[in-house]
This record gives sequence, structure tokens and C-alpha cells, in this order.
Amino acid sequence: MATARKLQGGELSESEAIERAKQGDGDAFETLYDLHKRRVYSLCLRMTANAAEAEDLTQEAFLQLFRKIGTFRGESAFSTWLHRMAVNVVLMRLRKKNLPVVPLDDPLETEEESSKKEPGAPDPKLTGSVDRMQIQRAVDALPPGYRTIFVLHDVEGYEHNEIAELVGCSIGNSKSQLHKARMKLRDLLKTSRAEKAETR
Amino acid sequence: MTCREFQEILPEIIDGGQTFEQEMHWKSCQECSSLVADLTLISKQATMLRASDTPSPRVWNSIEITLRQEGLIRAGGELAVVPASGRRWSLRWLVPLTAAFLISFGVADYYMASRQQTPTEVAGMDRPVTVANPMDADDSQLLEAVGANAPAMRATYEANLKDVNAFIRDAEDSAKNNPGDEEAQQLLMEAYAQKNMIYEMAMDRSLR
Amino acid sequence: MMSKQRVENLMLVVVVITATGLASGQTHKEFRFTVHPGSNLAVANPYGPISVKSAAGNTVVVNAILHSDKVEVDQIQHGNRIDINSHLLPGADADSGQVEYEVLVPADASVSMRTSTGPLKAEKMRGDLTLEGTTASVDVHDVMNAHVHVKTLSGPVVLTNIKGGHVDVTSVSGDVTLNTVTGPNVQVSSSSGKIIYNGDFGIGGDYSLTSHTGDIEATAPPQASIDVVAQSAKGTVDSDFSLEPRHTSFTTKVGSTFAGTMNKALSLVKLNSFSGKIHLRKAPKPAY
Repeated sequence: MATARKLQGGELSESEAIERAKQGDGDAFETLYDLHKRRVYSLCLRMTANAAEAEDLTQEAFLQLFRKIGTFRGESAFSTWLHRMAVNVVLMRLRKKNLPVVPLDDPLETEEESSKKEPGAPDPKLTGSVDRMQIQRAVDALPPGYRTIFVLHDVEGYEHNEIAELVGCSIGNSKSQLHKARMKLRDLLKTSRAEKAETR
Repeated sequence: MTCREFQEILPEIIDGGQTFEQEMHWKSCQECSSLVADLTLISKQATMLRASDTPSPRVWNSIEITLRQEGLIRAGGELAVVPASGRRWSLRWLVPLTAAFLISFGVADYYMASRQQTPTEVAGMDRPVTVANPMDADDSQLLEAVGANAPAMRATYEANLKDVNAFIRDAEDSAKNNPGDEEAQQLLMEAYAQKNMIYEMAMDRSLR
Repeated sequence: MMSKQRVENLMLVVVVITATGLASGQTHKEFRFTVHPGSNLAVANPYGPISVKSAAGNTVVVNAILHSDKVEVDQIQHGNRIDINSHLLPGADADSGQVEYEVLVPADASVSMRTSTGPLKAEKMRGDLTLEGTTASVDVHDVMNAHVHVKTLSGPVVLTNIKGGHVDVTSVSGDVTLNTVTGPNVQVSSSSGKIIYNGDFGIGGDYSLTSHTGDIEATAPPQASIDVVAQSAKGTVDSDFSLEPRHTSFTTKVGSTFAGTMNKALSLVKLNSFSGKIHLRKAPKPAY
């Protein structure tokens, strides 16, 4: 069943907005847009690391959804439906640009490459909190393939079986790439902190 | 279990499902413990990025235009009177934007024309003085938008808009009654410029 | 001092997070940026004060106190340009979304500050300043050879000892006070706010003080060298000085007016109001 969220101030609930949007009500479309724009836009932004492109993709995702709203029967949550559509829109764009949606296992790339520790010495922990800007910058710096998996799993909460279906890989590959993405982020965050510490 | 063995299976177990042996290893091994802690922290903090950004108003504007062009927004669903809630500020932004443009254009056009023309011509000139009057509906929409984005500022914007509208009315009257008076024209331009400033400041806040 | 060699344009940022001495829920953050001469800094802070001062060196230091976890500071550097934004998170309001900024910049930096509530302060600067607030009070002093632009709806504006640049103030209902402000071009426009000028109008500048209903009061010493025109359509105009007739043509205008020159008439001064009172006062002699 579609989520029947009641908005503050007695405005349209999501389910009411969906029904009205099917009748061509402009305000209803706008209500649905307002409810979900942040989630969709943030997803697009995290996956592309480009604000202008993210806005284009957000627009495309909502338009695709609104064009098909007449077919929505409430079998799943509206937000899930929209979100899937947004993910597909982004993945299609990445494929068109020949960017790797999921990186192939690259034996030459190891997570130890950038963390130059001495043999036997303990790797210093990423202590303290990691704020939003730091992690956002690190995610933006990830290679596109790693970024996709990380955003879908850790940011947006998709399970590996869902990711595998969306991006066309195996569950094992999804887990492996997620791990590498996290390792890469760890290195990026540590390198960033080390650079800041050196300037003091 | 060695660290190498543990780290090889870490992708499979980090989100749960580790055996007793695996758990004992990472709890007792500083290096692996540190690694697991870091990766878990990164995973948890990632949720901060969810729904953390807002697209600019142009996104909805483009969507709405397309929906109308494709007939998905039908005549019965036209955007009608601005709702009191103030939550929605879609195409409305085009109106105050147009208003600001008209004001700026009206100021520039009025100033250029009056500099080139004799006082007699100025008196008969089709001045854009009526630009100020249709702004009332736009002022309401601007206030709705300010109320939606920064409710605490709405009263301030409203009071200052009234102030400036009174300025424009008086300046228009003065310029109309004293067509050759440069100072009167200057006052009118200042009045328009103040109105323009209010719109710019309001839009600036919301477009960020 | 840096311990490693870096390329010429490398910019470094350091973040320090402390919690001592702050109210519950508040966080202090410090950001440092290395810049070259002529840098640009823009600070946008919906709620809270921004204070900018000059300091020696080539570092921009931004100290921010965040009042809650419902607001973050986004900071980014592109070459010689730094952008600082208070990013409001869902649920933030005027209290929880408040950030207090204190910024040290090289004196020649150009600075832009925007806030709704403010206050805004800038001092001892030689770079261009742009200050914009809704209800924020604005206080700028000791600025040399730089442009100062101020926009406010209802915040009071006080400019003190600003010399050698363009000054442009637009206020709707906030009072504007200029103390020892001189330059080639000084423009103040207000709707209902009062405009107060204390100074000698410098040498060779253009001064325009305009209001709708706000009173205009200019206080100048007898040695001021000005060519002044004052007009109020519906209010009164007054001058403490006996002015020499103007050499340029002056037509009689509707309402109250006076026009004339003092000394060598090096600066042009226009005082124009719709219905506010205009008064050109003589400054009292100094005690020493």
C-alpha cells in the first residue's frame, strides 16, 4: 500500500497526492516532488559528484515517475518505486558515459597501495568523528564504480542482492567492491587528516 | 587465524555473521580491530549523506513546464490562488523573478528615456509607472516563499515591502506631477531600486 | 612553518574541534586557509553574527561556533577564493541554526558577508567589502581605499572612518549613520530609515543622500568644501550655514529647497527626500 503519510497542517497526504496527480492535479505533483526531492537529488549527487548533472538526473527521474504515475497500484511504497527509478536513471547515464558502474576486480589495485605503513607497525585508527563534509569529499573522490556501490549500500541502504540486480553483478562482487570502496575511503580520510596535521 | 586470513574474509563478515574464531581474532588483534572499527565508522557515517542536499528551484520549474507541455497537468489542476500554507513556491518564482526584471528594466528604460527626452515628452511618455501596481500579487507570492523558507523573516519582509511600495507610489506621483524635475525622477529610481533589492535578497536566500 | 615542500598554489585547511568552554550542544570549529594577495572570502550565514578583521600574514582564519548539530559549516577553497556557508540541516531554526563567525583575513582581502539576523562587523580593511543583511546591524570602520557596499532591510548601519573608496548603502527602514566617511562616490538610499552624516565631505567627491520619509541630517565643519543641493517635496529643509549662490543653473523646485556653496565647493552633495526633514548642521568647534 502506498504510504499514507499525513503532512503537517492538514495538507495532502502522499496517497491523496498520488491519486490527485493521476487526475492531472499540478499541486499534487508538486507535493510528491517536495516530499522526495532531497532523497532523490542527494542520491544523484552522491553518485555523480556533479551538482548540475545531479539536477538533470533528478528532473529526469521525477519526469519518468510522473509519466508512469497512472500505472502505480500501490504494490510497493511509492518512495521505493521512485528511488529505484532514480537509481536506474543514474546508472543509465553512467553507462552512456562508459563509466564503470561496477569496477572489475583489478588484481593490480590493492587497498594497501596508499597506506604506506611499516611492516609490523600498527595502522593508526581513524579516531574522532568524521563529519559530513569530510566524508562527502572522500566519497566524491572515489572512482565512479566504487562510489556507486558505496552510495547504494551504505548511504541509501540497499542490500547486496538488490544492488546485484540493479547494477548487474553478483552478490559476492557487490560485497567485495563495497569493502574496497570502504578501504579506499579509509585511506582518503586518513591522508586528508595527515595533510592537515602536517601544516601545523 | 592470521590477520591476512581475517582480512580476506572481512568483506563477507563485516556486516554480520562472523564465527567465534573470527570474532576472537579481531577483538584480540589491534590491527584488525582498528580496521573493523574504521570501516564500521565509515559505513555508519555514510547515512549523513542521505537526503542531505536540496536541488535548486529550477528543477521543479523545468519539471512543471514539461508536465504541462505533455498534458499531464490538466486544466482542472492548474496552479490556482497561492495556498496559505506557503509550502509550495514553484512557478511562483518566475513571477517575482519577472517582477524584479521588470523593475530593473523599468528603472533603466525610464532613466534612459527621460535623459534623452524633453520635459514635455517625458510628461507624455508611456512610463513604466504601472509596473509597481501589478506587483501586489507578486509581493504576496514573494512573502509566501519567504514564509516557506525563513518564517522568522516574513514579517520583516512584509513591513519593508509596504514601506517601499509607499515610496514607489509617492515617487510616481511626484514624478508625474513634476515631469521636468530630475530629483523626482531620481527618487523614483531609488524607490524601484529598493524594491529590486528586496526581491533579490529574498530570492537569494531561497535559491541557495 | 610547513615541514614539506609544496607547490606554489597548494592551499591547506586545518580543522580543530573542541568542546571546552562552550554551552551544551555547541561546537567550535576553526578553519585555516593560505592565500595569495588579493584573495576573496564569501561568508553566508543565515542566522548569526559575522565579524571580519584584518590580520598580518597570508592566512585566512575562520572561527565558527555552531549552536547545535542542526547546522554545519561548508567550507571550500578554489585557488584564492574561499566560500564559507552555514548549511542548515532539516529541523534547523533561527536558534539551532545559528553559527557565530569570527574571521581574520589579510587586509587586502575582498570580503562578502550575508546574513539574515547578523550582526555584521568589519574593521581595518583595505579590500572591497559587501555586507548584506535582513535585520542585521552593520558596523564597519577603518576602511581605506576600498569599496563598501551595504544592503539591509531594517538593520541599522554605522560606517566610521571610511576613506578613499566608493560607498554605497541601501536601507529600507534601518537608520544609516556615516561618521567621517569620504570618498569619490558616497551614495546612501533609505526609505523610512534616518540618514545621519557627520564629516567634512572630503575633497572632490560626489555625495548623494536620498530618502522617502526618513529624515536626513548632515553635520559638517565650517571648513567643509561643498556644493550642496537639498530638496524635500513634502518635508522641511534647513541649513545652519549661509551658502554662496551656486554658479551652475538652479531652477526653483516644488517643495522646500536650498542650494549653495561653501568654500571652494570641491565636493558635490545632494540631499533629497520625499517627506523627510533635511537639516544641514554646523559641527560644534572642537574643544582643542
